[in-house]
This record gives sequence, C-alpha cells and structure tokens, in this order.
Amino acid sequence: MRWVETTTTVRFNEVDQWGITWYGHYFAWFELARMKVLEKFSLLPEQFTALGFIAPVASARCEFKKPARTNDIITIQTHLLKPQTASLTFRFEILLRADGSLLAKGETLQVLQKLDGTLIYKLTGTLKDLVEAMVQYFWPD
Amino acid sequence: MQTHLLERNYLLANLKELIVRTLRLEDVSPEDIIDSEPLFGEGLGLDSIDALELVVAIEREYQVEIPDAEVGRRAFASVSALGDFVLEKSSAQKASDAVG
Repeated sequence: MRWVETTTTVRFNEVDQWGITWYGHYFAWFELARMKVLEKFSLLPEQFTALGFIAPVASARCEFKKPARTNDIITIQTHLLKPQTASLTFRFEILLRADGSLLAKGETLQVLQKLDGTLIYKLTGTLKDLVEAMVQYFWPD
Repeated sequence: MQTHLLERNYLLANLKELIVRTLRLEDVSPEDIIDSEPLFGEGLGLDSIDALELVVAIEREYQVEIPDAEVGRRAFASVSALGDFVLEKSSAQKASDAVG
C-alpha cells in the first residue's frame, strides 16, 4: 500500500483570528494533494471531461487533531482505497513536517458521472484503464 | 405458469435479502420491503452511493449488469421491477449463450 506526499506552507490568509487554520482550508489541501495524484495518472478534471465524464465529490470528512499555524510546513499524504464500486475514495493525512505530528486526517468520495450528470455504475474503456493504473500504483501486488 | 410465479416470488425474496445484507440496513428486514415500493428517494430511501454497492452485488449474484443510472432508473424502480429486470437480462444472457 503506497502513499503520495505533497508539501505546502500554511499562508497567513488561511488562519483565523485565533491564529489557527480555518477548518475549511484542510479540504483545499486535500484537493491540492489529490490533484497531484490525478495528474500522475492523466485524470485531471479536464482530462476527465475530454473522456466524457466528471468526478464530483459526493462526501468528504475530516478529523482535526492539532491546529496548523501560519508558516507551518505541512505534508499531505494521499492514498487511494481499493475501489469496491464505481467510485474513487482518497484518504488523506496531514502532518507537520517539523516533528511529523498528525494535524488532520480525512477522506473524500468521488462518484463518476457522464457530462449530462448520469451516474456511472460501471467503468469501461479508457476511463477504466486509467483508474486501474492508478489502483495498481497504490496497491502494487 | 405457476412455476414461473413461484420462481419470480423466490427471486424477489432473494433480492430483498440481498438489498438488506449489501446495504447493511439495520432498521429494515427483507419482509418489510414492499414489492412495488420505490427503492430510492421515497419508499426505501436509498441513495446513489447505495446504488453503486447494489449494482456490484447484483452482478456478483446474478451476472446481470446495470451500467449506469439511466438503466438503473428502470431496474431500481422497485423490487418488483428489479426482479423483472434480472429475469429479462438473465434469459437474454442464456439465449445468447445458447446461440454462441
């Protein structure tokens, strides 16, 4: 089971008046990390669209363990769960790079739809091949 | 004719059991599900994520594919509709296997 790492720095505009990261920004960091993974497998939003699909997030959750503060360097670790259905579930862990402590962990679930919004129950064709390559990367046995 | 009806009733009972088991429905038992009741929205109240799981279970159990929500709209209209869909697709499958 593999994880992909992405690093970023907490900006001043991401913290609230108490000096800690506003909770919604963790989802933006999940997104940043997920894009890095999707880019690797030619599954960026515009590439999905070119294949005739979109992959909207149907659910997202996050548990906040420790606050991130301005200028903290954080590492977002991303992992893809083995798909049991026609969907993509990414798991994330955000760590403080200085000491490796866990700041937050969460998950997003994306469903797959045709451009007209019809939900896909079964992957086929190029989309199936690309998703399978990504699954293979995270689950190399 | 009677054999056909018995077969269909048996299938509907199995489908109800499959729905409850696959979706881990805690407050619903298979006998509570009404044949003509909608599975999604009103009725049993399933959602699109439930549909994704159900599709996998139906394919595993009956070798019948439901590729997307467009086909799903007909197949998942009710347990009764799902039963008819499974019967129709599996007899079409048997016919094509016989020809092939």
